Amino acid sequence: MTPGLLAAFWLWIAGLLAALARLPSVARGLIALGAAVGIWGAASGLPQGSGVLALAIALADQPVRLHYTPEALWLMAFGLFPAALAVALSTPLRAARPGWLAGAALSLIGALGVFGLQDGYSFLIAWELMSLGGAVMILSERASPESGRSALYMLALLEVGAVAILLAFLLLAEGAQGHVDFAAFAAGAPTLAAGVRVFAGVLLLFGFGAKLGLLPFYEWFPGAYASGSGASGALMSGIVLNAAFFALARGLVDWLPAGTGGLSGLGVLVTAVGVLSSILAALYAFQQDDWRRLLAFSSAENAAIAVAALGASLIFRADGHADLAGLAWTVAILHLSGHALAKGGLFLSSDGVYVAGGSYRLAQHGWLRTTSFTFGIGALFATMSLAALPPQIGFVTEWFTFQTVFQGFHLGTLGGRLTLALAGAGLALTAAVAFATFVKAFGIGLLGDGHRPKSPHVGPGYDGAVLLLGLAVLVSAVALPVWLRALDVADATTFGAPIAHTLASGWNLVPLTDTFAFISPSKLAIVMPLLAILPLLLLLNARRHAVRRTPVWYGGLREDPQRTATTTLTFANAMRTFYSFIYRPTLDTAHEHRAVAYFIHKLEFEHDIADVFGPTLFAPIRRAVWRFAGWLRALQSGDLNFYLALIGALLIVILALTLH
Amino acid sequence: MIPATARGHASAPQPPVKDVAVHDLEGRCRAAIDGGGRLQFAYAWFPEIGEARRDGGAAASGAAELRYVVHPARGLVPEIWRSRPGGQAMPSLAAVAPLISWYEREITDLCGLRFADQPQSGPLVLLPGATSFAPPLLPGTAEPLSYTPEPYSLPEVSGPAHRDVQLLPFGPIRADVLESAQFTFFYIGEAILHYHPELFFKHRGMEKRFEGVTPQLGVVLAERVSAVGGVAHALAYCHALEAAAQCEVPPRALWLRALLAELERLYNHLHYLGHLCHTTTLKVGEAEGKYLEERAKQLNTRATGSRFLRSLLCPGGLRREPRLEEIATSLNQLQGEFDTYARMLETSTTHLDRLITTGMLGKQLALDQGATGPVERASGVDRDPRRDQPYGIYRELPLRVAIREGCDAHARQQVRIAETTNSIELIHATLEGLPTGPIRAECRPPARSEGLGWAESPRGSVYYAVHLDAAGKLARVKIKSPSFSNWRVFPYTVHDTNMMDYAINEASFGLTIAGCAR
Amino acid sequence: MPLWTLYGLRQGKASTSWPKGDDGQSGLLGMPRFDPAKCQAGCNECAAACLPGAITMVEGAHHGPEVRLSVDYGRCVVCQMCVEVCPTGAFTASSDWAFGVRRREDLVWVRPGERPAGDGPAGAAADSGQREQVRSEIRRVFGRSLHIRHVDAGSCNGCESELQALNNPFYNLHRLGMFFTPSPRFADLLLVTGPVTYALRGPLEEAYRAMPEPRFVMAIGTCAVSGGTNGGGYACGHGLDGVLPVDIYVPGCPPNPAAIIHALLVLLRRMPQRVRQGQVTEERTA
Repeated sequence: MTPGLLAAFWLWIAGLLAALARLPSVARGLIALGAAVGIWGAASGLPQGSGVLALAIALADQPVRLHYTPEALWLMAFGLFPAALAVALSTPLRAARPGWLAGAALSLIGALGVFGLQDGYSFLIAWELMSLGGAVMILSERASPESGRSALYMLALLEVGAVAILLAFLLLAEGAQGHVDFAAFAAGAPTLAAGVRVFAGVLLLFGFGAKLGLLPFYEWFPGAYASGSGASGALMSGIVLNAAFFALARGLVDWLPAGTGGLSGLGVLVTAVGVLSSILAALYAFQQDDWRRLLAFSSAENAAIAVAALGASLIFRADGHADLAGLAWTVAILHLSGHALAKGGLFLSSDGVYVAGGSYRLAQHGWLRTTSFTFGIGALFATMSLAALPPQIGFVTEWFTFQTVFQGFHLGTLGGRLTLALAGAGLALTAAVAFATFVKAFGIGLLGDGHRPKSPHVGPGYDGAVLLLGLAVLVSAVALPVWLRALDVADATTFGAPIAHTLASGWNLVPLTDTFAFISPSKLAIVMPLLAILPLLLLLNARRHAVRRTPVWYGGLREDPQRTATTTLTFANAMRTFYSFIYRPTLDTAHEHRAVAYFIHKLEFEHDIADVFGPTLFAPIRRAVWRFAGWLRALQSGDLNFYLALIGALLIVILALTLH
Repeated sequence: MIPATARGHASAPQPPVKDVAVHDLEGRCRAAIDGGGRLQFAYAWFPEIGEARRDGGAAASGAAELRYVVHPARGLVPEIWRSRPGGQAMPSLAAVAPLISWYEREITDLCGLRFADQPQSGPLVLLPGATSFAPPLLPGTAEPLSYTPEPYSLPEVSGPAHRDVQLLPFGPIRADVLESAQFTFFYIGEAILHYHPELFFKHRGMEKRFEGVTPQLGVVLAERVSAVGGVAHALAYCHALEAAAQCEVPPRALWLRALLAELERLYNHLHYLGHLCHTTTLKVGEAEGKYLEERAKQLNTRATGSRFLRSLLCPGGLRREPRLEEIATSLNQLQGEFDTYARMLETSTTHLDRLITTGMLGKQLALDQGATGPVERASGVDRDPRRDQPYGIYRELPLRVAIREGCDAHARQQVRIAETTNSIELIHATLEGLPTGPIRAECRPPARSEGLGWAESPRGSVYYAVHLDAAGKLARVKIKSPSFSNWRVFPYTVHDTNMMDYAINEASFGLTIAGCAR
Repeated sequence: MPLWTLYGLRQGKASTSWPKGDDGQSGLLGMPRFDPAKCQAGCNECAAACLPGAITMVEGAHHGPEVRLSVDYGRCVVCQMCVEVCPTGAFTASSDWAFGVRRREDLVWVRPGERPAGDGPAGAAADSGQREQVRSEIRRVFGRSLHIRHVDAGSCNGCESELQALNNPFYNLHRLGMFFTPSPRFADLLLVTGPVTYALRGPLEEAYRAMPEPRFVMAIGTCAVSGGTNGGGYACGHGLDGVLPVDIYVPGCPPNPAAIIHALLVLLRRMPQRVRQGQVTEERTA
């Protein structure tokens, strides 16, 4: 535990108390400061990791200890940067601030615990605290029946996950002779049967996947995110997502042993789940017309990509390629850290748009033309990163993911090679759909022109925050060859060799060896501006001539750009038809006419897409639960004879058991 | 050679004119439609109005007279109903006969008469925002319109998703060499919810141009209402005047007129087959179709001196002899190539794939909305004025009316191919059966006479209703063009379809905008 | 499934190599030729039969009692009525159809040897100076390629039919380096047909404004040159004069595709103008 993190913890506690005492500005300052200090604390602990801090508490005879590995510090640092800015700006709804800040503090404290606690009991408490913090944030922002339902849906699915985690811990504790210490898990896992190990791995995937948004759990994302604000989203998609992924990665890689040569069934499963989740999440992201829902699905998609890389790591490790396994694992961590920055940037820009325009709906209002150019630059860089455009960090990590998957030909088993080949195809589809999604989000939401809003400037502070995050996205990519060394120790502890520094060769980024492929955002950051000189010179040269400006050509008449602007539906409808077997779209038009049906004067139109798992999985389960509960209600029949009969039956059963 | 004694009348017997009281109109209209008949078109004019009365408004509508051309039942000769509003609003018949709604709106725009209880009202022929001091068709000089553009009335979109609908306007200046019109799509990405064409940017006021013109010179105007249908328009005009003058056109002229009409049908259908291939991006098919059209037009030039067969027709016959020597051989060459071309079109699965089920026009819709020509016949409606109300010598020619039940763009292509083949046969038949004799008779319609003429143009039936004034000059000419009728139908085949099929659908209808807007 | 490509290749080349070959217009009746020597006094049959008013009677006192006719080919719709009604053969049918000219005055028939109205020495010099400038500018900017945007300002679709024919395999405009573009932003030349209806005047001016300079305007068809039979009335203007500055006038109803190609080549100085002062000649300057 580094001093910085300790200071952050106490600042967050103070902030929580201030929020509960209804002092929002004080709470804001404290929590944001805590996050900033936390960044310093996390960075100062790299690359060795922190020391161990033993707390004076013990839960059920299990002493509580805090220890931060380098990868935990890395993910935490990248997650706290957008979190600090999000808390500093906090929710745009002033009335909700006290409750929201309390929730934020809870989430951050929980995340701190998830990253560092080293035993099962305290870990679960921290995990639930993190989920609770998220729910508090959302519910304080919009206390309506809908938001309540979404929050309940979220909590219900997260609880299912928590139960799975608990079961996994119990299984692993079985192997560790009853100790719930994580070190004991790692030591005792080899003694478990192979089948039990796989089952525990599946439970961990299930449990942490509920928070990461793996299938079928991503369906709580849109409802929950859309009940909150962009700031909530920045927190939930940043530090919380990173914490969940860290826990999953540690569980699958550190606790479960490598497995002997051959195919790792668990690895294939994890890869498959990751790739399928990313495809589905990307497809649904593309169809959204609300900033928060679109970015929520995109978070699920990116988390799933990281999980797919994690699965690749497991496959490589089982086949004996420790270096490739390390590559895949490092790539997964890099992906989520870059994602936290970019996603935070876009969530905050959506908040800025909301403050100025009053709605989170993606619609063309010409924001970039009316706001400051710093906002535009920041939002553009963040979008480029999420759409995987060079030279941003999102491009780097996406490229690395593909390079990792392409290394599948090193594998010895056909199953492994096939899995990674298919994973590559699936990731390519995801990347394409994600690209289109962000073209839509940026093009319609920020760039496109339409009716200018009344107050065209985004709220104060948002342009600065978005610029900072955008620049962070660029800088983290350009300076990556330098920063990568911070993960060396992490790789060494996990895989036996310091791999991270081999990902960079000079200023180029390479997948272990520079004979396979390379990119260089650092050099691109120099070359791209140089290439821009030529068009700039041409532009300056053109200024010598008089410029005649004419209106946009619409075919001869001046059109109202608002009426003719592309909407989110027109952009996305073609895909809806193409993938109708997934979306099952509905389109209903009702006509109102006069006299005869031919003279239409009004159209009423609605459209919708169907979720995949909601109707097919959760709804039947819920119905089954209701039915079962209906049967169980018989226990409350109030009939004395029935109760006596039950007692009698129980006595007979007890008698039979004791006599047996 | 048929001896000169064989005669034919220029037009079928003239439709009777019946006076109908205003309150009886709706009942009689309902009876006609229930009996399998159809309203053809309607117009208004101002008989006996002098130069002095130019104050428009009530005085004008008091002197107006409405005419409805009705087919009382299938196969019967049409009749004309005459009604005088006497200054009051006329009852709208659009609820009973939906196709008449456009004619009523045109009457309101150009003649100033109002209709009560119109399901859809508002300016049609004059764009919203165009105002005139007096109704333009009031006899006398009309002042130029003053115009400030106003938005059209479009259906309102409501519902929770109303902001997701994009109103996409195309035109009036469209990509490629096309006539000017603006199409507004209610577009939601691939799917079209609703479609509204604004076709009257090109309204030139041609009906007004006929006012005061000598009947013999009027044919020059009739040829220029819609150039690619010039022969049909001129024929209908001549038929109307010949009916008014009760003159007999010489047989040789009648046979030559049929030849000209079929030559026009030939090059038009070839053009539309090529244009259809353009929209399905069958490049060689498009090139071949357009090349065959060019050959047909050059054939026209060698035979008549005009690529559009202009300056031949006149009331009473023809103005000069065409040169018939090369037609037969050129046509044989063309026929061989066309047969190959048509066979290839009908067996190109990629091309047919785009046409089948595109632009479905149901039979009831075609009947209700007044579709005409190949569009109507491709939806199973068995009508052709050349057979049902024969004019000229069509009774003597081996006419085969092509009917298809497909109702889609493919059916329309098939109808056009069949009609092209039949046109070539008809041209050969006219060349063989051509009698000798004069080609022009005197045609001087008496003062205050009137006549109704019709002809089948490549796009459908053209009607001309002609009224002459006291000096024997044209007082009112009403043009019912096939494109006007078919454009009314077209939007109903576009609602709830998708954008990829739109261009193919429009090409398969094969309509002109000049003919519609006049 | 037929093999269209093979079929197309077997059909061979269908393009004419005009202006070096067949123009495809054999037998076409063009603008009537006027020979005033054959006119008889007191006859005004042609003027009475001319609907667009191309032939008008002009009283000329200083030329004696003879009545003179003014023939403006810019208004001629090639209906051949004058040829038909003329009792003396002063108007004869001809196959002159290449009537693309740079100045509107060149379409008005002037007695040979007389100076047309409004063509003073100063005007001619300024004209030729400007022409030199335009010629070198065309050579410099366009080389041998031209992009055309067509605007239909209310035609009867005859001119459209002939313009569409320019891209058929026979005329094949692409072989001359000329293309139709979908947007005026890429266009060098604005080709206008129709008498400019009230509703299309705004879009036409918008299209002209949307074109980058240097830009040219061509009036195709008698309607665009002077209004023709469709012009005037309550809905139409009288062609492009007064609406846009016109560089080439091409009367005809409609001008056939070869005449349109001729006019385009006149604009690019690749073919000589054939009509001067209403008479068919050959211009010596290229």
